[in-house]
Amino acid sequence: MGDLIANLGLGFGTVFGLIPVDIPGLGVVPIPLNILLCFVGCLVGTLVGVLPGVGPVASIAMLLPITFKFDPTGALIMLAGIYYGAQYGGSTTAILVNIPGEATSVVTTLDGHQMARRGRAGVALGIAAIGSFFAGCVATVFIAAVGAPLTRLALIFGPAEYFSLMVMGLVFAVVLARGSILRAIAMILVGILFSTVGTDLETGQERMTFGMQFLSDGIDFAVLAMGLFGVAEILRNLDHTEVRDVVKQAIGRLLPSMQDMKDSAKPILRGTFIGGILGILPGNGAVLGPFASYTIEKKLAKDPRRFGQGAIEGVAGPESANNAGAQTSFIPLLTLGIPPNAVMALMVGAMTIHGIVPGPQVMTKNPSLFWGMIASMWVGNLMLLIINLPMIGLWVRLLKVPYRLMFPAILMFCSIGIYSINSLPTDVFFIGLFGLIGYALIKFGFEPAPLLLGFVLGKLMEENLRRALIISRGDMMTFIERPVSAVLLVIAIVMLALALLPSIRKSREEVFVDD
Amino acid sequence: MHAGTDRVPSRRGPVRGPQSLVSGLVLVALALFAIWLTSDLPQGTLRAMGPAMLPRWLAVGIGLCGIALVVVGLTRDGHPLEGFSLRGPVVVGIAILCFGLTIRGFAFGALQVPQLGLLGAGPLAIFISGFATHEARFRELAILALALTSFCMVLFGDLLNLPIPMYPQVFADLYPSGWSSDARLRATAGILVALAVIIFAATHRRRRAAEPIDVVPDEHAGTI
Amino acid sequence: MKKLISIAAAALGLVAGAASAQTYPQRPITMIVPFAAGGPTDVIARIVGDHMSRTLGQQVVIENVAGAGGTTGITRAAGAAPDGYTIMMGHMGTHGAAPALYPNLKYDPANSFDTIGMAAGTPIVIVAKKDYPAGDLKAFLAHLKANDTKTNMAHAGVGSVSHSTGVLFTSVVGIKPTMVAYRGTGPALNDLMSGQVDFMTDQIVNVAPQITGGTIRAYAIATPQRSPALPDVPTTKEAGLEGYEVSAWNAVFGPKGLPADVRAKLVDALNKALSDENTRKRLLDLGGVIPEGAERGPEALQKLVESEVARWTPVLKAAGAVAN
Repeated sequence: MGDLIANLGLGFGTVFGLIPVDIPGLGVVPIPLNILLCFVGCLVGTLVGVLPGVGPVASIAMLLPITFKFDPTGALIMLAGIYYGAQYGGSTTAILVNIPGEATSVVTTLDGHQMARRGRAGVALGIAAIGSFFAGCVATVFIAAVGAPLTRLALIFGPAEYFSLMVMGLVFAVVLARGSILRAIAMILVGILFSTVGTDLETGQERMTFGMQFLSDGIDFAVLAMGLFGVAEILRNLDHTEVRDVVKQAIGRLLPSMQDMKDSAKPILRGTFIGGILGILPGNGAVLGPFASYTIEKKLAKDPRRFGQGAIEGVAGPESANNAGAQTSFIPLLTLGIPPNAVMALMVGAMTIHGIVPGPQVMTKNPSLFWGMIASMWVGNLMLLIINLPMIGLWVRLLKVPYRLMFPAILMFCSIGIYSINSLPTDVFFIGLFGLIGYALIKFGFEPAPLLLGFVLGKLMEENLRRALIISRGDMMTFIERPVSAVLLVIAIVMLALALLPSIRKSREEVFVDD
Repeated sequence: MHAGTDRVPSRRGPVRGPQSLVSGLVLVALALFAIWLTSDLPQGTLRAMGPAMLPRWLAVGIGLCGIALVVVGLTRDGHPLEGFSLRGPVVVGIAILCFGLTIRGFAFGALQVPQLGLLGAGPLAIFISGFATHEARFRELAILALALTSFCMVLFGDLLNLPIPMYPQVFADLYPSGWSSDARLRATAGILVALAVIIFAATHRRRRAAEPIDVVPDEHAGTI
Repeated sequence: MKKLISIAAAALGLVAGAASAQTYPQRPITMIVPFAAGGPTDVIARIVGDHMSRTLGQQVVIENVAGAGGTTGITRAAGAAPDGYTIMMGHMGTHGAAPALYPNLKYDPANSFDTIGMAAGTPIVIVAKKDYPAGDLKAFLAHLKANDTKTNMAHAGVGSVSHSTGVLFTSVVGIKPTMVAYRGTGPALNDLMSGQVDFMTDQIVNVAPQITGGTIRAYAIATPQRSPALPDVPTTKEAGLEGYEVSAWNAVFGPKGLPADVRAKLVDALNKALSDENTRKRLLDLGGVIPEGAERGPEALQKLVESEVARWTPVLKAAGAVAN
């Protein structure tokens, strides 16, 4: 405990410390440089997060050269700020215009955007900010206290465990669906099928690419999400003149009421816990956090039918899980040197550019960097809250723009954003194509969310399945013989049974009820 | 709008859930398509799974879901098919296509599109997509196209420094050679804003009179 | 409206009149890196590009165009106008292994480019899980041969450096281990640390932290000299393995047809960057190998590309590794 306090003291000392900077015209002046960099990072992160498509990867890559001028600690504090700022900003877009910028904000669109449609955009944004802040605080302490020992947990997870984890995630997707279970399963399968497009990892053979080069790396998540959610939503809104304007009725409260806070308290706690744990897994476990949280909230709710209609628990829980996971996914990076996702891979690059070797030695060799970064996470979360609460009013006012002007603007931002990811015009064409597909799906009564979840988890599931079977030399028992894997599979089966049970009890036919 | 019911082929009596039937058929078609696409790939064994194993089994699963939906559509009362409007999807599709074709230029066989950058692609996309709704107003869209493009140039090009082509090189060469690329970018953005303001001011007085003409008649909104 | 157009035209006309003759470079230079930001090639491109900007007096902007083992970005760069405003960071995969891996490749590594020069190489290290029952490389090779099909070799996906160099390793040693593919080096290292897989070969910059941290063990480094980043790791030759010297080199190319003066300026800028103390230190910290003397410059690079294509094609074709 004494160690923890001493370490955090070192961290906060680094973050708040005055650093002499040579300012032209003023000479060398000590200024709190790190805290300024943290603020700039959070601000830029929020901005790029809000813009659909422009993810943290592109913006961190673009800002890397600027950070050459700072010392590594300051540079990394800023880059980390961009990362969690973008996570938070992505939720704003998900709530306001129903476009999930990241896999982790897909769930937020379900109830967050419904709240916005019901004139509760401010409340949704507010609870997302508060939940994220709480989750961020807890996760920071969590990392500081038990981060290092917990990395051993990460090493328990081999291919078999990841496969079982993904199966569990897919079962969550069934639970999360609003309507018919049959349709949800069909959409999940279609999502996994989409994820198999591209060059096969094991053999290098191309699958379902029609011989086209731009498909050889598979379908990009951002392209699929922006098409199925963003463009399809626009097309659907164009059909319904009467409900189109996102906020028809007067905007209600800008901030959550006491009742809202009370409703959200437990979901935030649970979400933080789930997201924090899953975030530690280096195989991008953080992606499951929001889904898991949503599923649990829906199962625990007295009236699960409210979910998908703007239930505040459906925003509070997943948003907390999202942020907790974003935070704890620094653990595998800092302690194992293994980046769990593309952003973290970029952080590794940033560290190496600054002459720091990421990995187990960071903590001992550069304690002020390690603890400074952890302390900056807490400071960053506070800044996000300070930046975002006043912005809610602005965002909500943006919704009052007439839809006939709003949708061309959304389309433009989507097109630029998607182009900026890979500089590929074909990506722009594909958001149009997926938009049309998404529009057709809605017309046929399918939901896009399970499809997207199947897509995200499908790739990880297939790779780990094949890897596990190669290592076990084709023995399926490997999934049951390994205890962690077995437990995860049992949870999946129980969840599936619980999801199917109510319908089975009511009548066997209910499963196929098409509503 | 709900023309679906009589379009669905029905041999076994009246179709009771047209939406289920059609969506089931679509799934079956998708499954068959995927099986055909992976037909030339090896399936492999459990020990060394081939690239086709998972897609093929997924396709079978999707096909089964589709068949189940078809059965539901034939036996149980369900939703009618929703009407499709053509205007939105077609116009938005064209707008996105235009953006993609012109942002960096595109060469596809005989088709050669020059690079227009954001300066050309942006207004084009906004202007075309605006006409996806019959409420589109020429003047509003023109101002929006100019102002938003200018905003995006500063935001993406100047502030975020993303590698997006801003304008054709010919256009950039119009500026004095001493100007830095940032100055050229800002000047371009300034010109666009100025144009937007000029349009706003020049048409402000005549707006009332012009309005009825600006509204595009409704008859283009078709259904299938 | 007519009035408007005439005003706009006048404004543009004014600006147009001021345009004059230009010398290279007049605007930022785009360096296409065919991999995601943060990887070894990207890091090297950024370090070298940072210093080249200073010599050229214009920003060298890194643009990451990832995909298909780097060939997407290189294909794009090969088709750019040869005006010196688009250059690229090619590497062992895109300009060596690619012709064997991608039969439909739209460029020819040896003939579609004007070489600028080698930037830096990152040596390949043979690493294994930390409790692998072999004390040194000789014992490791003997154990591998005795347990041929039982061992699992990890690699970061068909077409990656760790895949190509791993295939070369198996063919030099004469073994056929079970290959386990991962999406990138990170996940592969994770399973190597936890002992799910037995060994792999990868670039020093990816594995050095884990080696010094003691979570995996290194048997040899595939360079003629030891690396200052890992002074305790013997070279393959020292440890008794002949014929396995390989490093993932990164080099600057331009599209075919660069004007001679433009090419000379780029060669000079790269040369100055590689001689700069600060830049050298940053590259060496990564475990990078900096080309010296005759290894620098466009001619040396042209020869290297030709010999690399000749080296990789038979090895990869024999292994049946085709990424289509």
